[in-house]
Amino acid sequence: MKLYLLPSNNIKNFAEKLAQDGSVFYPVFEDNKTHLVKFAEDKEFEPDFEKIRTAENIKHFFFPSRDVVAKFPKDSRPKVGKQYLFGIKSCDLRGVDVYDRVFIKNEPVDPMYQERREKTIIISADCPEPADCCFCNLVGVSPYGEGTCDINVTKISAGLLCEVFTKRGEQIMSKHQDLFKEVGKDNIKEREKIRKDALKRLGKINEKSFKEDIGERVEKADKETMQDAQKDCVECFACLHACPTCYCFLLSDYKKGKDVERIRTWDACYYAAYARVGGGANPRSDLKDRFWNRFLCKFNYFHEYEGFFACSGCGRCYRGCSGKIDIREILWKL
Amino acid sequence: METVNPVRNSDKVLDQSQGMGLSNEVNPYYSIPIKIKKIIPETSNITTFILEGMPIKFEAGQFAELTVPGIGEAPFTPSSSPYAKDMEFTIMQVGRVTSALFELKQGDLVGVRGPFGKPYPLDDFKGKEIYIVGGGVGFAPLRSLFLALLYNIKKYKKIYIRYGARTPDDIVYRRLIPDWQKINGVDIVLTVDVGDESWEGLVGVVTVLLDEIPVNVKNSPTIVCGPPIMLKFVTQRLVEVGFEHKNIYLSMESNMSCGIGKCNHCRVGKFYVCKDGPVLTWDDVKDIEEPFL
Repeated sequence: MKLYLLPSNNIKNFAEKLAQDGSVFYPVFEDNKTHLVKFAEDKEFEPDFEKIRTAENIKHFFFPSRDVVAKFPKDSRPKVGKQYLFGIKSCDLRGVDVYDRVFIKNEPVDPMYQERREKTIIISADCPEPADCCFCNLVGVSPYGEGTCDINVTKISAGLLCEVFTKRGEQIMSKHQDLFKEVGKDNIKEREKIRKDALKRLGKINEKSFKEDIGERVEKADKETMQDAQKDCVECFACLHACPTCYCFLLSDYKKGKDVERIRTWDACYYAAYARVGGGANPRSDLKDRFWNRFLCKFNYFHEYEGFFACSGCGRCYRGCSGKIDIREILWKL
Repeated sequence: METVNPVRNSDKVLDQSQGMGLSNEVNPYYSIPIKIKKIIPETSNITTFILEGMPIKFEAGQFAELTVPGIGEAPFTPSSSPYAKDMEFTIMQVGRVTSALFELKQGDLVGVRGPFGKPYPLDDFKGKEIYIVGGGVGFAPLRSLFLALLYNIKKYKKIYIRYGARTPDDIVYRRLIPDWQKINGVDIVLTVDVGDESWEGLVGVVTVLLDEIPVNVKNSPTIVCGPPIMLKFVTQRLVEVGFEHKNIYLSMESNMSCGIGKCNHCRVGKFYVCKDGPVLTWDDVKDIEEPFL
């Protein structure tokens, strides 16, 4: 893959150029958390490409929490503009991998997701400072972009070392080539060290791996294990709504004038009525079964269909949990 | 631990989908508007809605999402033949959407989205005796299967229907059954849980019809649709008398929203009932802890 160097004093310029044909979102660090904010020329530009993933997941850029997916009787959909996600982390790319499989690869194609995906340029950034909640290394995700992104950047002393992964990433580079410099050997060495250190840090945070057959172990878990795992759950569902790989949704219809809008909203399998049928029966009326369903979905079912876990190791579920349930602790015990 | 690395390449994913989606014809969430042509009450709480034409092509066993505009959708298997001119749904009033549907009149607009799921493997049924067991409103999807079989009746050895309802007044398609009973190659026996003065047939739950099974159980397909409790006991009996597990076809009830294997609501174990079903075999579901709700 081709490498380019974006000198520190050109980063704002680059964002400005990108903003000429779309909305640019970049990470800022505020109140001990990272958030994506929209680039505006008159606003102070102080991106932070080094802190961990944003507090909020990025799925709403592709799969909004509330979306009009069809109209009745005549169909139409809201227009979607071009957007740049500049500086998201590799754990969130796992989420995009999951959504690509669910909404594009597995037919029928979801036209709303596909359109947003096609109009969103992803420029991911290395994650040199993994935090205690992070466990991407346990689920097969590296702390830097290796694909799925169009471009990945690493913050080095001279600026951003950019690696291009897609044709459209290449097009962006050639369009703004005057902003970039050639990459030197010392730049590459610096990136290698940053990555090595990040992996080392992740290894220290998560000394134990999940067992090779973790999916099977989840499937074969006994009732006591399941009961014990959910004992601190207060059913706030923060874990599922914060999760960048959860994709459950619900369709509901609302009248709007003479028309009807079909709205898709995020749903979560922990809700008691989630699987209840018209006649009233409920296959997962017990919280223990709903709680465990999440583990089955992420580490067994999805893995069996797609060959990777529907978990990014971002740790948002743990950070958001009122009962401080750590998914790692549960999986390590299996 | 190492996991198989996904194909992490945007070009590949986006190239794969080029030319698909992005147009209204293929919006899988859009319902096709269609008018109600006729409404036929079958029992006190079960009604057949005949639509003005066939909005979607389907095969027996597949289902559709029926929309009451502004209220929402619910999944139903059509009760008409896939070869008919008009699409029909026979529906029991149980919830929010069906209650709103029962308020509609002839000429009112509904929406249809589908077809979803897998059809019955009718090719595998050729030359065989087909043993259909139904209960209550479960006769609705079975009627569609039955009519599809009738369309090519010479291809099948014989069609057996065993159907049970609570009372004679609860028998769905009572208006049509006498004509079906006259067809060569069709054998229909009914039972009711509780009879009345006019009832001359069998009395007892549907399993009484399974005391003697006149088909070769070793290679005949059997198709079951009805309330969960019936499904449970009928399946037990069919397994007991020796039907092959892969030949026992069961209509699974599940909460469905998208119909296209994405929203996750209908999942039963590893199966998406909307995509892998709605009919699954006993072989598929027997290891699931509680397959019948």
